[in-house]
Amino acid sequence: MTDTWELIVNPFFNYGGTDKGLFWQVLTSLQRVALGFSLAAIVGVALGILVGTSSLMYSALDPLFQVLRTVPPLAWLPISLAAFQQANPSAIFVIFITAIWPIIINTTEGVRQIPQDYNNVARVLRLSKPVYFLKVLFPATVPYIFTGLRIGIGLSWLAIVAAEMLIGGVGIGFFIWDAWNSSRISDIIIAIVYVGVVGLLLDRLIVFIGSLVLPEEQKK
Amino acid sequence: MAVFVEVDHIDRVFKLPDGGEYIALKNIDLHIHKGEFVSLVGHSGCGKSTLLNILSGLDQPSAGGIVLEGRQVTEPGPDRMVVFQNYSLLPWLTVRQNIELAVDQVLQKHPKPVRRRLVDHHIELVGLQKAADKRPGQISGGMKQRVAIARALAIRPKLLLLDEPFGALDALTRGGLQEQLMQICQEHEVTCVMVTHDVDEALLLSDRIVLMTNGPEAHVGQIVEVPFPRPRERMEVVKHPNYYSLRNEIVYFLNQQKRAKQHKAKPVVAVAANGLEKVNLELGLIPLTDCAPLVVAKEKGLFEANGLSQVTLNREPSWNAIADGVTSGRLDAAMMVAGMPLGLTLGYGNQRPVPMVTALTLSRNGNAITVSRRLYDQGVRSLADLKAAIDRRPDQVHTLAAVHPTSMHNLLLRYWLASGGIDPDRDVSVTVIPPAQMVSNLKAGTIDGYCVGEPWNVRAVQEGVGVVMAIDHDIWPGHIEKVLGVTEAWANQYPKTHLALVKALLEACEYCDDPRNREEIIDLLARPEYVGADPGYLRQGFLGPYDRGDGRKPESILHYNQFFTDKANCPDVTEAVWIMTQMARWGITPFPRNWLEVAERIKRTDIFGQAARELGLLDIGRDRHPIQLFDGIPFNPDHPLDYLERLAIKRDLRIEEIPLDALKA
Repeated sequence: MTDTWELIVNPFFNYGGTDKGLFWQVLTSLQRVALGFSLAAIVGVALGILVGTSSLMYSALDPLFQVLRTVPPLAWLPISLAAFQQANPSAIFVIFITAIWPIIINTTEGVRQIPQDYNNVARVLRLSKPVYFLKVLFPATVPYIFTGLRIGIGLSWLAIVAAEMLIGGVGIGFFIWDAWNSSRISDIIIAIVYVGVVGLLLDRLIVFIGSLVLPEEQKK
Repeated sequence: MAVFVEVDHIDRVFKLPDGGEYIALKNIDLHIHKGEFVSLVGHSGCGKSTLLNILSGLDQPSAGGIVLEGRQVTEPGPDRMVVFQNYSLLPWLTVRQNIELAVDQVLQKHPKPVRRRLVDHHIELVGLQKAADKRPGQISGGMKQRVAIARALAIRPKLLLLDEPFGALDALTRGGLQEQLMQICQEHEVTCVMVTHDVDEALLLSDRIVLMTNGPEAHVGQIVEVPFPRPRERMEVVKHPNYYSLRNEIVYFLNQQKRAKQHKAKPVVAVAANGLEKVNLELGLIPLTDCAPLVVAKEKGLFEANGLSQVTLNREPSWNAIADGVTSGRLDAAMMVAGMPLGLTLGYGNQRPVPMVTALTLSRNGNAITVSRRLYDQGVRSLADLKAAIDRRPDQVHTLAAVHPTSMHNLLLRYWLASGGIDPDRDVSVTVIPPAQMVSNLKAGTIDGYCVGEPWNVRAVQEGVGVVMAIDHDIWPGHIEKVLGVTEAWANQYPKTHLALVKALLEACEYCDDPRNREEIIDLLARPEYVGADPGYLRQGFLGPYDRGDGRKPESILHYNQFFTDKANCPDVTEAVWIMTQMARWGITPFPRNWLEVAERIKRTDIFGQAARELGLLDIGRDRHPIQLFDGIPFNPDHPLDYLERLAIKRDLRIEEIPLDALKA
């Protein structure tokens, strides 16, 4: 209890190296997640719309996505380490590759589920491609995109903790691993509380952003 | 009027997952004029929405095509805007933005302020100023539909397509919106095609109602012209004398389709027996005293005696239903008004000509002209009084009714009016109402008089709503009235059956004209499945003295209903030519240059002659001599055009060669 007390009362200390307060540990992990997840969101939504609008692309790529999405996040780590030769980009890549599948799949589904009525309106009015994208396709797909993002953020937070355990350095994952090696079980417990709370907050954050973007009628 | 939209022989075939095919639409051919409002009515699944989608370009026909103003439609476009059944508004845009989206896209070449004004104008048009900045989720269904209509109108489509636009709305909202739509369409002269289930809605809004048969292979079953004048008011439309007859006609069609669906399991096949090609006959009749020969033949076993062992009598709601039933093959044969076989062969009312034949005249006389008690109380006692009454009130349109354009009632009523100097199209309005609805229309005051067969004149007199102004004996005693009509194709396909039918009915006619049998016939006719009228009404004229309702003592009239005596039954070419002159006179049909060929071809004296000889009856008709009606102008069948020349009041004559052999059955 006394060993862990400092961690509890002061999350902001910084003694250099990996000996930092939990706030900094979490912040580092969050930065990685933010970067990896943002990339996944951008690429995933773009790819999802592409695949959703073309049935050729859909039949070509969807089986591939279905296979890849079942690969556990950590299985990507050796490949990314081999590719990037560095710990940090590898961790970010793992986040990216973990979060992207639900985003792609949900976006694709969203595009394919656009009510035929909206498409008929667009066809009758002969809406141009950009207008169709901005006024019909994208707004209609947004709820599905946010479902994908919510699943993606949860997965990436799961993956970051595991990845950091393996690659070391500053981060909440390595902190837990380090505590285990040093037999500081109480540190692990406090870290797990942090991981849980942060995971919950991330999830709520996405929901909150979604509620700002989505019009009233589309909320489920 | 130029054709605006041409639906050119469209088929739509859907591929089924099991490799089969479903033919949804078959050979749809339809012409729509500019500014016209056309409704598509039919049962669910009859392909009306598919047709609408093909019109819009959202769906492609498997064969045939759509031509809009001379250009073929291949893809959707804003010149054919659709108002979808479920509104199809984008929920993330406000009312204004939804309309703007359409206007900005379609009317790009207009400057922005013009487009803004257009949007505002259409929001005002449907009265949604207050809701302009609300999203679709925040407004009611009726308001959403108004937005959809405003959006559609704002982009100035050439053709507005409405897919059950008011289906999901409550009655009150629906009524309000219908009126709004009607007003907007009238003001902007929009050409509209609407799919609907609602018969009243279709009648209120449309110029023409296209009735679709049930799928598979749905096609246009019937087209009903809606003659109500525009601008229309709901209450005035309902009061129009034709409203209920049109409504009945449509409902009847829909019921027919429903029954046809149930019957489809057992397709009608000709049952050959007793040496005849077909003994299972469906015959059509209209509830009137002079349907007696059919009823007698059925009830006294005369059909069976001639080998026709499975005859069903179908009580039909209107003469139109009879015409339709016989030409479509639903009915094998029917009692018809005298001009109907001629009218159908000549293509009356711009319909497709169907060659008909008649080998038996079923009855003569039996009609009267009744005017309302109100006119009588104003002093109308004669034709001259009627003319004076009409001239006194030039502001008021007097409406008279007959039962069918080609019926003797229509022709005699018009002849009678014209002989008194009353133009039946300009001075009064002559409309078409089924016999059974005459009295109720007279009672309601929607018509001022009519010409019809019994018991519908007697009934008006007995109920005190009308007075008989003239009977047949005052106009043309002994004229042809009802005939047996079949299509020429049917007569050629089943010659022995046709002969047996003529024989059975000829025997029945003989039976009907024996006064000793008439008491019994009255009881038969009074049954609900036939005329269903009070025997007291049926008796007048038919057996007992006839009360005209003008205070005079009821008098017995010889041959008020004539079925057999005096060589009544042989088809008469002279009468056929007279009828053709009269139909041409009023623009109902063209006058055939080959009038004798047409008349001889339709009036099958040969079949009648054979039937009469086999029964041992006289096989000739009346002597060929000029016809003379009450006004004394002689009609010489050799010079029908001279006769038409002599008649003062008439429409523009169309004289055409009718190529009988080119007409397909």
